[in-house]
Amino acid sequence: MKKDLRWKVILVIIVIGLAIFLAYPPGEKIHLGLDLEGGMHLVLEVVTEDALSIETDQEILRLEDELKKKKLEYRTIAKEGITRFSIQEINPAQEREITDLLDDYFRDWDYSVMGSTVSVSLKPAAVNYLKDLSVRQAKETIQNRVDELGLAEPTIQRQGTGNRIIVELPGVENPDRIKNIIKTTALLEWRLVLGGPAPDQETLLQDLGGEIPSDAEVLKGDPERTEGGYYLVSKVAPVTGKDLINARRSVDEWNNPAVLFTLNAEAGRRFYKFTSDNLKKPLSIILDGKIQEVATIQDRIPDRGVIHGTFTVESAEDLALVLRAGPLPATVKYLEQRSIGPSLGKDSIRKGLSAMAIALILVIVFMIFYYRLSGFNAVAALTLNILIIMGILGYLGENAVLTLPGIAGIILTIGMAVDANVLVFERIREELSSGKNVWSSIASGFSRAFRTILDANMTTIIAAIFLFQFGTGPIRGFAVTLIIGITASMFTAVFVSRLIFDLTQSRKKKREKLSI
Amino acid sequence: MQIFKQPKFHLMNYKVFAFVFSGIVIIAGIINITKGKGLTGGIDFTGGTLIQIRFKDPYPIAELRQAFPPEMGSPKIQRLDEEGEKEYIIRTSSPELETEQDEEAHEIMGNRIVDVLTKEEDRSALARGLADLNHIDTDELTSILLSSFPENAQEIASTIIRIRESDDLKGIIENYDQLLEAGIDQNVVDSLQEKTFLGSLAVKRRESVGPQVGSELKTRATQATVWALIGMLIYIGLRFKFAYGVAAILTLAHDVLFTLSIFSFTNREINLPVIAAILTIVGYSLNDTIVIFDRVRDNIKIMRKHHFEDILDTSINQTLSRTVITSGTTFLTVFALFIFGGEVINDFAFTMIIGVIIGTYSSIYQSCPLLFF
Repeated sequence: MKKDLRWKVILVIIVIGLAIFLAYPPGEKIHLGLDLEGGMHLVLEVVTEDALSIETDQEILRLEDELKKKKLEYRTIAKEGITRFSIQEINPAQEREITDLLDDYFRDWDYSVMGSTVSVSLKPAAVNYLKDLSVRQAKETIQNRVDELGLAEPTIQRQGTGNRIIVELPGVENPDRIKNIIKTTALLEWRLVLGGPAPDQETLLQDLGGEIPSDAEVLKGDPERTEGGYYLVSKVAPVTGKDLINARRSVDEWNNPAVLFTLNAEAGRRFYKFTSDNLKKPLSIILDGKIQEVATIQDRIPDRGVIHGTFTVESAEDLALVLRAGPLPATVKYLEQRSIGPSLGKDSIRKGLSAMAIALILVIVFMIFYYRLSGFNAVAALTLNILIIMGILGYLGENAVLTLPGIAGIILTIGMAVDANVLVFERIREELSSGKNVWSSIASGFSRAFRTILDANMTTIIAAIFLFQFGTGPIRGFAVTLIIGITASMFTAVFVSRLIFDLTQSRKKKREKLSI
Repeated sequence: MQIFKQPKFHLMNYKVFAFVFSGIVIIAGIINITKGKGLTGGIDFTGGTLIQIRFKDPYPIAELRQAFPPEMGSPKIQRLDEEGEKEYIIRTSSPELETEQDEEAHEIMGNRIVDVLTKEEDRSALARGLADLNHIDTDELTSILLSSFPENAQEIASTIIRIRESDDLKGIIENYDQLLEAGIDQNVVDSLQEKTFLGSLAVKRRESVGPQVGSELKTRATQATVWALIGMLIYIGLRFKFAYGVAAILTLAHDVLFTLSIFSFTNREINLPVIAAILTIVGYSLNDTIVIFDRVRDNIKIMRKHHFEDILDTSINQTLSRTVITSGTTFLTVFALFIFGGEVINDFAFTMIIGVIIGTYSSIYQSCPLLFF
């Protein structure tokens, strides 16, 4: 064996060894996309305006507090937009004190005075900061909830710096449940009930002359948990879900599923005082603006309590889960969702692999039938090509998941990779028929076909690169296998194939016939 | 073995026929796209919902079509299984809801489809506090089994879900006996019969795209196509003379238009995989074209005395076996994909099959004659 041939053989053996090492065992090394493994892909949008609005509400409450403390006069504070409000009918003599107060304690806000009205608006920098913060918090909360679910390999990413979050959860068996868990805002509040239940709003407000008192609001009972109906409840929530340190599914005194919660020490003291002050009054538990339960305060409650309601075991479990993970800072919307059940994923793998096997057999049979012994050469190159694709996929791991279009890409590569062999073989046949001997026909066949192979494959690779750039999950999988496959085909069909000819023909230079 | 011993087809004699043929198909296609049926965008681009559903009991397709109230439009229904009428894909682009610009219209629509198809008996069973064994996941099943089988509830639950998702049951348990047959203990099944019921349907796949994401995906698909075409053109421009480049571009436009024309005459939708397939075809067709052009370039130097038409014919004939063989092997593989690859990849495989045929035809009959001009 010639010296340079020996090095080539060693190189090919190394490539084979490396590919097997990287891809074996394929079940562990090659990561499957959601379309094959089964799972869920969600694109969520955080409605950041919600977070801004809540911030504005809280700041208005804080301002009212401060104004009262300093005994500054005003008629009302009106919210005029998500990030704007105005203090109306102030005492002009106190204007200076009010602006000082805003300067000192409300630094994120711009204000302007027009007569007896002070218009206040959130500074653009603060708006951006709060929006960004709400997306980051939402991402963290979703991460917590998904972690609590104990799913394998979840990915939760923010899309750039915008307000979108992409959630990918492999192996989800009940997408509806997961979607609910992620989407629930889970803002839990305990508030006093001032009136109700009533079948409609008019009846509820009859005794009050049809007007809702300024410190109260009308809420509906959650039809799944209560009898429904309208309630008048206080706006003030002495304790909220943020004060929880734990929540878990449990059973109540009648052995029905319920959620047991524990408050932190400070909130526990607050709740104890609040329940002491309001004994025998009805208290409501509100989740995301819907009343879950109304019960009369029978006793002073320190730091522990139970949420009743008509729970099933699963819904109690899920509520406890979202309460533990904390509330979302804003509502989220589903912009896109794709879920594939495990049975369909398995089905796709089976069908994809059988299509691949059949394609491979057809091509192998054809090549051997058409090119005889040289056909085996092409088959060897093809087999190595598939091995290299698997090896590289194994090496890239999570960065290049195998999807169903990815399997299609491999199948297509099987058809297209032999093209390089065909170009070479056809050239060799031409050279042979023009009367050259076997050895020089092989040599010029390879050298003359090479440029064509390169040119021809480049266009497909260019298409695949842009598909990868702009494509989404499954399509990227296609682009990846196609790029790897075609690139590898230039190595296998040119370098390896040539080597096989060199090895089999080198000792018979005088040979006149080539099985092609 | 050789298909063509010494091929000497005067292929260029038929070039006018080829131009007329392509012209007719493309013009008919363009008329159909602009004035007639038009191209149907898949939910990836229009926004909408796709739900693949498997029923426990056969649900005749005629009844299924009747199931949706008129305000839901008329969802497209496609039957998937040959043996019974159990598995369907239901698609809707939910136009009525989209006019409200509701970003979650696709979600609502998806929920409504499932809701409409859910049987009354399922609802009453749920109301009685039973869990749907064809819907719940391992966690939920574990918590249901926990009271009766505290030691191995999780293990039993994951076995049952695995049986449900196996190739035999395909995602839906039709009766409790199937669990017994699969080796679940009688006392477990008894306990399940008390606490669960077998829901009448299982959603195996659900894709829904909001209008906003749909238009973004459309932009991205367009960008991918435009940039890929520009990239290929630049490459051709670098490697070949101007005239070849122009011929290659026109061939490429021919391939895309021809494929779209065929699509306009079928019921298939243009979705992301179809765009990927079209781009691949363009690359593939160019590949064929380049191989022939390479020969033309060589032969111009060798056959100085010959007429240009002869040079083209000779070049095509010299590369003909290669063209036929490569197209043949590629066709075999995409055909295998089309037949055995399953529903999910079917549109892609279909596009590839058309593309391989058109790509081969066009590189012989469009790109070469175009060199005349």
